[in-house]
Amino acid sequence: MAPLFEIRGSKSSAIFLLAAALTLSAWTGRNFLEMRKPDLVIPAEGFSGHMLSEWFPGITGTAVDTPVFIQDSGIPGANVLIMGGTHPNEPAASMTAVLFLERAAVTRGRLFVIPFANMSAFGHNSPQEASPQRIHFTLPDGSVRSFRYGSRATNPVHQWPNPDIYIHEASGQQLSGSEMANLNRAHPGVEDGPLTQRLAKGLLELILKEKIDLAFDLHEASPEYPVVNAIVAHERSMELAAMTTMELEFEGISMRLEPSPKNLRGLTHREWGDFTETMPILMETGNPSQGRLRGRTDEHLVLTGEDKFYAKASELGRLFIPYENDQPLDYRVARHTESIMVFFEMMTLLDTELVLAVENIPSFEEIMEKGMGEFLSPLN
Amino acid sequence: MMTLVYRGIALFILALVLRCMFREKDFWKQVTATMVIVPLVLRILLIK
Repeated sequence: MAPLFEIRGSKSSAIFLLAAALTLSAWTGRNFLEMRKPDLVIPAEGFSGHMLSEWFPGITGTAVDTPVFIQDSGIPGANVLIMGGTHPNEPAASMTAVLFLERAAVTRGRLFVIPFANMSAFGHNSPQEASPQRIHFTLPDGSVRSFRYGSRATNPVHQWPNPDIYIHEASGQQLSGSEMANLNRAHPGVEDGPLTQRLAKGLLELILKEKIDLAFDLHEASPEYPVVNAIVAHERSMELAAMTTMELEFEGISMRLEPSPKNLRGLTHREWGDFTETMPILMETGNPSQGRLRGRTDEHLVLTGEDKFYAKASELGRLFIPYENDQPLDYRVARHTESIMVFFEMMTLLDTELVLAVENIPSFEEIMEKGMGEFLSPLN
Repeated sequence: MMTLVYRGIALFILALVLRCMFREKDFWKQVTATMVIVPLVLRILLIK
């Protein structure tokens, strides 16, 4: 196709265009680099801040070293880990961990919170997904806090290239090469492996050294994916998960219960259970902003889950979640939060020594009524 | 080491693009070169 109008190129125009290219590079570069700055969090009173490298020095100074917050009540009880951000494009997971971090008052036991498990993956967006870079929450005082919406995979700037085939070291399982950058295919980790595998090793070391009794790995999934609004449990945590599922159903929160497949390796619910004494639990909520059927992808979709194509898919019976035109982030966070609190209750029924008493966590109804922003602390 | 080689290749391609851009007599092809320069610069600086 011929151009609309002919303009003769010259050295002057080349210099002008080079300047434009460099300006554009500087602007976009700054934009991309902004995403690598960690999100600010305001831990509740009693939390102490650490880095994962304290448990595994193999990630010291790398892009995957990540903050670990601990609140120790001083009274013996259960040790529980809440981890969000395995996949930073699943925001209800990290926001639930942030909610516990900014609200929890632990009166018995020890609570560990890792809000941004794969810190490197928070620093970029997945290519060709058109995802927003940030999501925003308005607080009661009118201030606004933002959190990054990252990628499923470790940033290729930090770990590359992916092989054609990723071989999971502990099992020999073969997966697509891109899975090498997926934290939830890297467990139990490799001490001297690529960054993602070392990060997984760090998490394993924390669980082993701190004798974590119950470990949550929070996730979200596409509404058209069968394992959604679900708990996935290892054999050791299955009884507890079954009790929790029944209690949630009594409360009106519908929940699937899936056994951790023995032949799907590298995931927390399998490897943490096989390689440690913890009871691993993986939970999924339905996130239209990461699904394949979605239309326009922006912050509104992430926060509300409103999408006409998902509404149509729901009409056609193609989804695995009840979807009535939306699936708000508040609802997804409320599901995770309520489920975790029920797990704490059921854990004590199962073993009277395993007590984690946590106060000041909003109920499902409170989160739904007031929204997530109501429960975040102002930055100043 | 591999990253250094990668950056070297990207730098070499950038130099070729710039050479073509300054020799090009069609403005619109120069604009096309401009669009190629941006990702190359971001790659060389390991920003994206």
